[in-house]
Amino acid sequence: MTKDLLKKKKTKDIKIYCDITKCVGCRSCEIACAVEHSKSKDIFSAIKEKALPKKRVKAENINNKIISLHCQHCEDAPCIKACMSGALSKDEKTGATLQDKDKCVGCWMCVMSCPFGAIVQDVENHIAVKCDLCPDREDFACVAACPTGALFVGTKEEFEKKVKKK
Amino acid sequence: MKYLIIGGSAAGVACAETLRKHDKSSEIAVISDEVFPLYSRCLLTYLLAGSIDESKLYFKDKTFYEDNNIKFYLCKKAVSIDRKEKSITLKDRTKISYDKLLLATGASPKLVDVPGIDKKGVFTVRKIDDARSIMKMLNKVERIAVLGGGLIGLRDAYALRQRGKEVAVIVKSPQVLSQMVDKQAASLIAARLEKNGIKIMTGLAAKEIIGKEFVEEVLLDNGEKIKCQMIIIGKGVKANTELAASCGLKVEEGIVVDEFLKTSDENIFAAGDCAQTYDIARGERRINALWPCAVEQGERAALNMLDKKIKYDGSLSMNSVDFFGLASISMGVTKPKEEKDYEIISQVKNNIYKKFVLKENVIVGMVLVGDIKPAGIISILIKNRIDVSSIKHLLLDDNFDYAKIMPLVAKYKDKFKLEECKDTIITY
Ligand SMILES: Cc1cc2nc3c(=O)[nH]c(=O)nc-3n(C[C@H](O)[C@H](O)[C@H](O)COP(=O)(O)OP(=O)(O)OC[C@H]3O[C@@H](n4cnc5c(N)ncnc54)[C@H](O)[C@@H]3O)c2cc1C
Ligand code: SF4
Ligand code: SF4
Repeated sequence: MTKDLLKKKKTKDIKIYCDITKCVGCRSCEIACAVEHSKSKDIFSAIKEKALPKKRVKAENINNKIISLHCQHCEDAPCIKACMSGALSKDEKTGATLQDKDKCVGCWMCVMSCPFGAIVQDVENHIAVKCDLCPDREDFACVAACPTGALFVGTKEEFEKKVKKK
Repeated sequence: MKYLIIGGSAAGVACAETLRKHDKSSEIAVISDEVFPLYSRCLLTYLLAGSIDESKLYFKDKTFYEDNNIKFYLCKKAVSIDRKEKSITLKDRTKISYDKLLLATGASPKLVDVPGIDKKGVFTVRKIDDARSIMKMLNKVERIAVLGGGLIGLRDAYALRQRGKEVAVIVKSPQVLSQMVDKQAASLIAARLEKNGIKIMTGLAAKEIIGKEFVEEVLLDNGEKIKCQMIIIGKGVKANTELAASCGLKVEEGIVVDEFLKTSDENIFAAGDCAQTYDIARGERRINALWPCAVEQGERAALNMLDKKIKYDGSLSMNSVDFFGLASISMGVTKPKEEKDYEIISQVKNNIYKKFVLKENVIVGMVLVGDIKPAGIISILIKNRIDVSSIKHLLLDDNFDYAKIMPLVAKYKDKFKLEECKDTIITY
C-alpha cells in the first residue's frame, strides 16, 4: 500500500480528494496534519511544543455538509502569481504547489489570493504555511488518519469512478 | 518569431516565461535599464528593515534567463521605437528588431513640488539603487520624515522604524491609506503604528525642506517644523509612458490597451504598472499598480503575442499589509462615493474590523483588519460577480471559509473558473 502511494505521489495529476458525503467532521485529518508538521512528529510531544504546530487542512461545514479542505495544488495557481518574493512555485514534475520557507516574508499576498482559503498564517514565525504533501513520509498524513475513507488519493477520474459506484 | 520585452520585472519576466513555455524555439529578449536582475521591488522595504539581505531579493532563480534560453540585456535603456521598421534603439545606439514587442516599463515614484527637494537626504523607494543609497546613509540618521501616508509611505516608515529610527509620517488626507481603506480601518492601523513609535500627522503637508547641503528640517503648512536628517517621499506612482507616447501609441493615465492587452499598434502589447486596464470591481479603465496584476497581465499578454486570442477580464485592486502584527487586506471599492447605491455589511469586534461593500447583492469591495482569513474566498466572489444573497448572513461569521460558498460554487459553476472550484463540487 505505502509503496503504491509513494509511486503515486511522484505522478502528476494525483490529488487528495474529499468525499463530502462521507466526511463526518471528526478532525482526525487536522490533528494528523499538525502532528506531521511538528518538530517531534509525535502527538504527545507536539502539543507541548512552544509554537503549536500548524495544521494545513481544515474540516469545514455548511448545511450539514462537511468537507476536509486543503491546498488544491491548482494548475494555474493564483497564489504563485501573487507571491512577490518567489517563495511559491510549481513543481513541474508533480504539479504540486511548493513553498520555499526561507524566501517567505509573510506579506500574506497568497492568503489574499487563494480561492480556497488554504493558506494558513504562522504568526509566530511570520510566514505562510500550506499543504506540502508530506515530504517526510511515503503516504499522506491526513489520508492515513481519515477513519471514514472520505479522503482519497488518486486522479480525478479514479475519484469520480469511486464516488459514482455508491 | 522574435519577441522583445522592455522591462525585466514582474510583468516582463512573467511574459518571457510564458512565451518560452509555449514556444521553445523563437528568439526572446528582455531589456532592463537596472543594475540588478530579477529582483522583487516589493521586497525593498524588507531589505530596508533589515529582515532580509540582497541575496533574498530574487523572485526567480538567478539562472532564469540561461535556463530558459532568453537573451537578457542588463543596464540597457530603450530610448526609441520605430514602429514601421519594427525595431527599438538602445541608449548606446544598438538596434534590436522585433516581431512582437511588450512594453513592461512599470512606474516611477511621484515627486512633490516642494522647495528644497534637491537637498541630500531626500529619497524615494522604487529601485535597488534607492534602497542601497538609503542604507548607506542610515547610520548617520536618527530622525526621518516620510511624506505620504499611502501604502508605500507607511511601508517605508514601518521598515525604518524597525531599524530603530524616530519616524514621523506626514499625511495630507485626514486619514492614512486613503486610497486603500475607509476611516475605521485607517484608525485601527494608525493606532497600531503609533503604539509602536511611529508618529502619524494627518491633515498636513510639507511646505519646505530646510537645510544647507543636507536635510535638517521640514516645514509644514501649519508652521510647525520637524527636525529630520532624512526625508522619504512615498506619494504613489505614475506610469512610465514616455517611450510609448514618443512613438505615437495611445496613452492616457497609462498606456491604453484593449482586452487582449494590445496597444493601438497590433504588434505592441503592454502589461503591468504602465498599462491602463479594466478594473472589475469599479467597471472602469484604470491602472492597478500591483504585483499580482502585473504578473497576470504579463502572462496574458504573452498568450496574445502568441496569437492565442485569450481575453483578459481585467484586474481587481487588492492589497495586503501587516504592520507590527496587525494584518489588513483591502479589495475593490472600499469607500463608495454614493453610499445609498450600496449595501454595507460591517462590524468592529475586539479590534477586528470587517466590511463588505455590496451592489445589487454582488460584493464589490472588502476591508479586513485583524483577521484576513476569508480574503481569498471573497476575492473570487468579487471577480466573478457572484450574487451572494443566500450567504450574506455568513459574511461576518468568524468561521467564514470555503465551505460557506460551496452552494454558490455548485449553483454558478459556469461563472467560476475551474481553478476556483476544482473538484470540490464533484460530490457536493
Ligand atoms: C517598496 C515597494 C513595495 C511594494 N509592495 C507591493 C506589495 O506589497 N504588493 C503589491 O501588489 N505591489 C507592491 N508594489 C508594487 C509592485 O512592485 C509593482 O506593481 C510591480 O513591480 C509592477 O511590475 P512591472 O513589471 O509592471 O513594473 P516595474 O516593477 O516598475 O518594472 C519595470 C522595469 O522596466 C524598467 N524600464 C522602464 N523603462 C525602461 C526602458 N526604456 N528601457 C529599459 N528598461 C526600462 C524599469 O527600470 C523597471 O526595472 C511595491 C512597490 C514598491 C516600490
Ligand atoms: S494555495 Fe490555494 S491558490 Fe495556491 S495552489 Fe493551493 S489551493 Fe491553489
Ligand atoms: S506570505 Fe510568503 S508565500 Fe505568501 S505571498 Fe508572501 S512571501 Fe509568498
